[in-house]
Amino acid sequence: MIDALIAIFEALPYLLKGALATSGIVIGAMGLGLVMGVHMAVGQVYGNRPTRWFVGLYVWFFRGVPVLVLLFLFYFGLFALIGLNLSAFAASILVLGMTTAAYQSQIFRGAILSLPKGQLQAARALGMSDIKAIISIILPQALRFSIPAWSNEYSIILKDSALAFVLGTSEIMARSHFVASRTYHHLPLYITAGCIYFLLTWLGVRALLKLEAKVRIPGYSQ
Amino acid sequence: MTKPKKPILRVENICKILGGKEILKSVSLSLYKGELKVLIGPSGAGKSTLLQCINFLIPPDKGRVWLEETEIQSHKKRELYTFRQQVGMIFQDFNLFDHLNALENVAIALRKVKKMSRQAARDCAVAELERVGLGDKTTLYPAELSGGQKQRVSIARALAMEPKIMLLDEPTSALDPELIGEVLSVIRNLAQGGMTMILATHQIGFTRSLADEVLFMENGSIIEQGTPEDLLSPDACTRSRDFCSRLNELYEEGV
Repeated sequence: MIDALIAIFEALPYLLKGALATSGIVIGAMGLGLVMGVHMAVGQVYGNRPTRWFVGLYVWFFRGVPVLVLLFLFYFGLFALIGLNLSAFAASILVLGMTTAAYQSQIFRGAILSLPKGQLQAARALGMSDIKAIISIILPQALRFSIPAWSNEYSIILKDSALAFVLGTSEIMARSHFVASRTYHHLPLYITAGCIYFLLTWLGVRALLKLEAKVRIPGYSQ
Repeated sequence: MTKPKKPILRVENICKILGGKEILKSVSLSLYKGELKVLIGPSGAGKSTLLQCINFLIPPDKGRVWLEETEIQSHKKRELYTFRQQVGMIFQDFNLFDHLNALENVAIALRKVKKMSRQAARDCAVAELERVGLGDKTTLYPAELSGGQKQRVSIARALAMEPKIMLLDEPTSALDPELIGEVLSVIRNLAQGGMTMILATHQIGFTRSLADEVLFMENGSIIEQGTPEDLLSPDACTRSRDFCSRLNELYEEGV
């Protein structure tokens, strides 16, 4: 028992460094997913036929293939094929980012479609171009309504980030596995790893709840 | 009534088919400066579609539109946006931007379309809101306003763009009876101030007292047009008269 506590205590700084890597992956992937997802959603709702078709194909592919397969496919296959020499860390961000982009685009698409049609009409009637209307009228509302679903996506990506371990990224899971194999304290170390994930999930979801309250439209209930 | 020779807005042969149904059958009209034309007619007659075709929110299948001698080339985006800036539109269900307060609702197009500075847009928005009697409500969001107040904000939003004409699509139809008055009084002030407008409405009393011309629409065509006296006086034997007396029976609206 004491051994286990000592093992955890000794490994903790090492694991927390892993938590930093995990945070980096999640923030990078969610950020990339946000930027790509918003563009894809706008393209899918307002774009011409080829754009809608392309986004549809992208979403279908990334939602249809397991993340683990995608990680191997891109890191060992496609990135090498196009001569892109990425670190495991960067590759994890890219692959998880592209995956969450597919899911996020559908969150934003749903939010955009849930807005009353009159919002875009009124903006057009004032002489706004569609781009201006989307940027100043549609997205500020759609993004607000996307926060609850986005927070869900955050918790999913946080846990999927453990898969980056297989590419050799030195994140929480990789580090716990490494220490556990060395010290044979498997149970306490994986419990610790689980607790760190739990803490990160809790912090992120809480921060997003705060954000949701902060940007809430006064008097508005959807 | 003395009219200048040239109409400020001319609409010719607008046709629109939606879902296989002919909504507008070659509708034409001319609007002169300072004139208030009122569109009346049963629901489904094509009043809303006509107004939305005029500023191309619904692209007409056929037909041409001129604003002050210039024909609008609706496929040229820039021209279309410039045209729409000059045509204020008021919707039945207000369509205020839900995430912006009253002031920002009025100011946003000034900033994004007219490229005014933040401060100038703000000052202008405050002035427009005061004009519709909402100077004390500038920081409230649409969800915190009554229907009548929302419609007045939307009028202020349209006026801030300094439109040459205004299209009002049943501006009081979504309002409780006791809120209609405040919106009509704003529109009355506009009419008396010389604003050029096309108003689709079921407010017959209002039409009688303020319209320069009444257009009666049914089944996608303007079937009668003339002064309120010609069409709506008790002894006129017109389709409009019939329609209005039936409306009056419904609403028991005194004139």
